[in-house]
Amino acid sequence: MSDSDQKIIADLKDANKRDLAFHVLVRTYQERLYWHIRKMVMNHDDADDILQNTFMKVWRSIDTFREESSLFTWLYRIATNESITFLNSKKKKSLIPLSEENEYLMENLMSDPYFEGEAIQLKLQQAILRLPEKQRIVFNMKYFEELKYEDMAQILDTSVGALKASYHHAAKKVEEYIKSSD
Amino acid sequence: MDELKNIAPELSKLKKEVPFSTPEGYFDDFSARLQMRIEAEKQTVAPRKTRFLQIFKPALGLAASFALIFLLVYVPLKTFMPDQENTVAVVTDSVDPNLMNVIEHLDESSFFTMLDDDNTNSEFTDDELTMYVSANFNDYEIYENLDIH
Repeated sequence: MSDSDQKIIADLKDANKRDLAFHVLVRTYQERLYWHIRKMVMNHDDADDILQNTFMKVWRSIDTFREESSLFTWLYRIATNESITFLNSKKKKSLIPLSEENEYLMENLMSDPYFEGEAIQLKLQQAILRLPEKQRIVFNMKYFEELKYEDMAQILDTSVGALKASYHHAAKKVEEYIKSSD
Repeated sequence: MDELKNIAPELSKLKKEVPFSTPEGYFDDFSARLQMRIEAEKQTVAPRKTRFLQIFKPALGLAASFALIFLLVYVPLKTFMPDQENTVAVVTDSVDPNLMNVIEHLDESSFFTMLDDDNTNSEFTDDELTMYVSANFNDYEIYENLDIH
């Protein structure tokens, strides 16, 4: 764990420094977490809600953080779980069948006024959205965020081997989609 | 990167750009908006506790008063007053259950035959007779019999 993270955690556990330390934590991690969430849910408004919920959860449960993992993996884990919970509840509320989840996310992407990619980027996003949920999360974390497999294993609570296999399959599928739709 | 080139050569040629944007100044405002939400939560959690106490405080006070009065009255009474119910129970229990059984199952004619029979060494006492009458006749029947005789 980095020195700055250790200082943030120590200050968060000190009641007198807590507010300021939390502000520093938010400023440090808000962008990384936002893009991680945004790639999962596609839509800005949804990503904003989930990011707020993520930090609220961090605020409420900072005392339970055991420092066995790094601050960064703990935050990513909460953000990932919040995103998955959000998508599941959205599916239940909208009565979306599992098979149509990708279409729902694609609609989310197309209707978002803050999507401004080129045609090839749109195609890449379409390919990613066709992946199963777990492969999609793994692909985004490895391809865009370039996280280490060891960190991903902590965040997603799975083995490095399983992650490598997931990424391999995901990358193959994305490649095939890009080639086929050229 | 080499791993990706081997698995997906076309994909590895693409620029790793995130095709999304955010509203202007989103990240500048985010921390302040979050702080407002935290402050709102702090304020809603604290009054909720006091509101709960405000609602239940009079009821709890009343219940405590009743409990205190009950203890002040009941405990001395229980300690110093004689136990009347137990005395009654002892009296009732002192009657021989076998005798009660015989009396209750005796029909009227057999009972009077036994009374009239001077040769019979009757062991009925007044109390046993009273027990029999009260167990087998109601008030109306007793008074009716008194009128006839």
